[in-house]
Amino acid sequence: MTEPATDTVTDAETRQRRITPARLRSTEATLLAVVVIGFAALSVTSGGDLLRGPAIQTVLTYVAVPVLIGLAQMVVLAVGQMNLSVGALGGFTAVLMGSMMADAGWPAVLAVLAGIALATAFGAVNGLLVVFTRINGFVVTLATMTVLIGLQYRVVGTRTIADYSPGLKAVGAASVAYIPVILMVALLVAAAVAVFVRRTVPGRWLLASGGNPLAARLSGISNDRILVLAHTLSGLIIGIAAAVTVASAPGVNSSIGGDWLLPSFAAPIIGGVALTGGSVAVLGTVLAAFVVRLVDVARAQFSLDPSWVSLVVGVVVLGTVVLTQRRRRRG
Amino acid sequence: MADPVFVAENLVKTFPGVRALDKATLRLEAGSIHALLGENGAGKSTLIKILTGVHRADSGRMVLDGREISPSSPRDAARAGIGVVHQERNLVPGFSVGENIVLQGIPARRGLVDRAAIRAEARRCLKQLDLDLDPETPTAGLSVAQLQLIEVAKALHTNSQVLLLDEPTTASTPSEVERLFTVVRRLRDAGTAVVFVSHKLEEVFELCDTVTVLRDGASVLEAAPLAGTNREELVDRMVGRSHLAEPLPERPPPAPEPVLELVGVCTDAGHRDVSLSVRPGEIVGLYGLVGAGRSELAKALLGLSKVTAGEVRVRGRAVRIRDVRDALRSYRIGYVPEDRKAEGLFLDQPVTRNIAVTVWDKIGARFTGVSQRREEELAATYVDQLGIRLASAEQLVGELSGGNQQKVSLAKWLAARTEILIIDEPTVGIDVRTKAAFHELIGQLAVAGLAVLLITSDLPEMVALADRVVVMRGFQVRGEVANDAHEYDPTSRAVMSLIHA
Repeated sequence: MTEPATDTVTDAETRQRRITPARLRSTEATLLAVVVIGFAALSVTSGGDLLRGPAIQTVLTYVAVPVLIGLAQMVVLAVGQMNLSVGALGGFTAVLMGSMMADAGWPAVLAVLAGIALATAFGAVNGLLVVFTRINGFVVTLATMTVLIGLQYRVVGTRTIADYSPGLKAVGAASVAYIPVILMVALLVAAAVAVFVRRTVPGRWLLASGGNPLAARLSGISNDRILVLAHTLSGLIIGIAAAVTVASAPGVNSSIGGDWLLPSFAAPIIGGVALTGGSVAVLGTVLAAFVVRLVDVARAQFSLDPSWVSLVVGVVVLGTVVLTQRRRRRG
Repeated sequence: MADPVFVAENLVKTFPGVRALDKATLRLEAGSIHALLGENGAGKSTLIKILTGVHRADSGRMVLDGREISPSSPRDAARAGIGVVHQERNLVPGFSVGENIVLQGIPARRGLVDRAAIRAEARRCLKQLDLDLDPETPTAGLSVAQLQLIEVAKALHTNSQVLLLDEPTTASTPSEVERLFTVVRRLRDAGTAVVFVSHKLEEVFELCDTVTVLRDGASVLEAAPLAGTNREELVDRMVGRSHLAEPLPERPPPAPEPVLELVGVCTDAGHRDVSLSVRPGEIVGLYGLVGAGRSELAKALLGLSKVTAGEVRVRGRAVRIRDVRDALRSYRIGYVPEDRKAEGLFLDQPVTRNIAVTVWDKIGARFTGVSQRREEELAATYVDQLGIRLASAEQLVGELSGGNQQKVSLAKWLAARTEILIIDEPTVGIDVRTKAAFHELIGQLAVAGLAVLLITSDLPEMVALADRVVVMRGFQVRGEVANDAHEYDPTSRAVMSLIHA
């Protein structure tokens, strides 16, 4: 009994049972219902205040970053990895963009593009470290997270950088029919990610590699390259999230990104992405980010302590994971 | 004989400690079905992995259609024209049938996946198999047989001149097998050279034209026409007589009453109606091919999976074993696992702790805990008794040789004073001399009155040690072979006919 015998078979079969399109669709339908009902309920309890244009705009403005960081985590989860450096990389990139504009006097376009390029490169470094050291992605990104938090503090120290490009801030505050431009950016990124995983060859490779690495390897797909690709893509999306933050926040300091980690996992997990890899749920991730945002809106409306949001979201994430696991065992 | 379309000559492949292929040769003709046979570990898997570019041969050469090839990756092999249906399912869950078929070369236009082309290509491949399946169907929910045919379609996608089928019928019903055979025959008639790896000789005789038999990494029968041979001859060739194990001295007869008895046991690991018994002082062998359910049966006895029907009797009383702790404490059953590094030992702990782990609660004092001195005394007993060679008892187990590690893995169960010992593949990766010493040791344990259930895929070892051999296949007992005389030829032949029946 020295050959690998039947493990892969059963493994693949359990996965097959778990990720049926119908089930994903049902997750998304449920989330959509939660968003609609939740929004309706909060509109009623607010006496209709929530239905006014500016209020809607405020609600939507703060969905953009959760959508983006959820997607950044999702593409890494799709290959069965995790990226703990989402918040640290976003925070570092954001303060760097701010510093390039305010301290070095770079034009906004250049600073944003440079920041996004740097974040993408950092993502690639995460992937390369995972591939070349063969150390678990959890540990690698835990380490790079700590490094990046240090770098972020080196750049910004204790100050808040606020004195940068009014033009960029105008874009961050702009909206069309009360729909914030930054949300449109986030949704465009979501659409691009959806097209990437569904319709491009590297995107299909990514899902194949995450779903059955052995089959992918035997079909000539390099799992290592796919890992690097996933982490790089994650870095790119984080770079965009950082740009959105710089544009929409009044200023950037060392606390930016510090509270991104849980939401980055919350959106894809609640949205129906399996932690074992091989599946993505772009729509689910976007909808889950809206659900999380509604929890925050409710918190503000009833003047509850902010800790309630973390508590509720944490419990929902844990509940979702437990439910998924139960379903798989029964499957 | 026509010119072969594919020749692999004198392939040699060595892994650390094993010569998996020792000048193996395979000759295939276009438009014929070739059987590849051999025992566990004869080198079939390695040969297939070299043909399909998963491994590279240390020496030897391969010629396909007059051109020398040396595929460096599965994709390379597929491009050259060698397709394979692996033993394991190799489909991506969540992908459609069509996408799985074209996974080796997803068609794209302007950077986007060309769905129409996927459909067309998948239809072409499915049509060759006479399989009426929509390429858009998700693979989740399809039957095992359908999945298998999709894998064949996957190999057709790359226009394989050579198609390898690695045990394609293990999980299929007779009608599914018949369907697969029809497809394979059609491919042959279209000029493909098919290699069929199977342990089922009836299927081989029904389907194949020629046969190659591997033994100990070398081809002992090369591209012989099947018409000129018969079952017995093939079994003889597979078994051979090399590497016979030294017989052990006579042992006193075992006690009359079984200490462990299984009656019609079914488990949720998949065993059906398993019955066997082991008496004190007896060594009962459990033989079968990889995946026959032997280790799984051992683990079910330890409570690691559930017994769903039938009875497990220990010393005549029907029992329900809840977990390993229960097995050890209440019923004195020990299990020396096959994978000693992963399941049997704490490699970065000293020998003393590894031996004492099963009895810590006995040698520990209530307030002062486990004293190192008592651990050392205990370890010294077994180091002495089993002849474990080490620099000091404080040496880390990971630093010992394979044979000594295995002895430590055994010692901890002896320390726990087990009366029923299940030993799983005791001599894998152990050199010949240590192996002989180990056989002697197992014999002595039986003489001392232990009931031993021995799982091994090494048939000579089985013949040398076991008093009786219970043969398993497909999670069922297929029969029992008496082995009182410990003679290789009759026992191995009887065992092999049960396996290939």
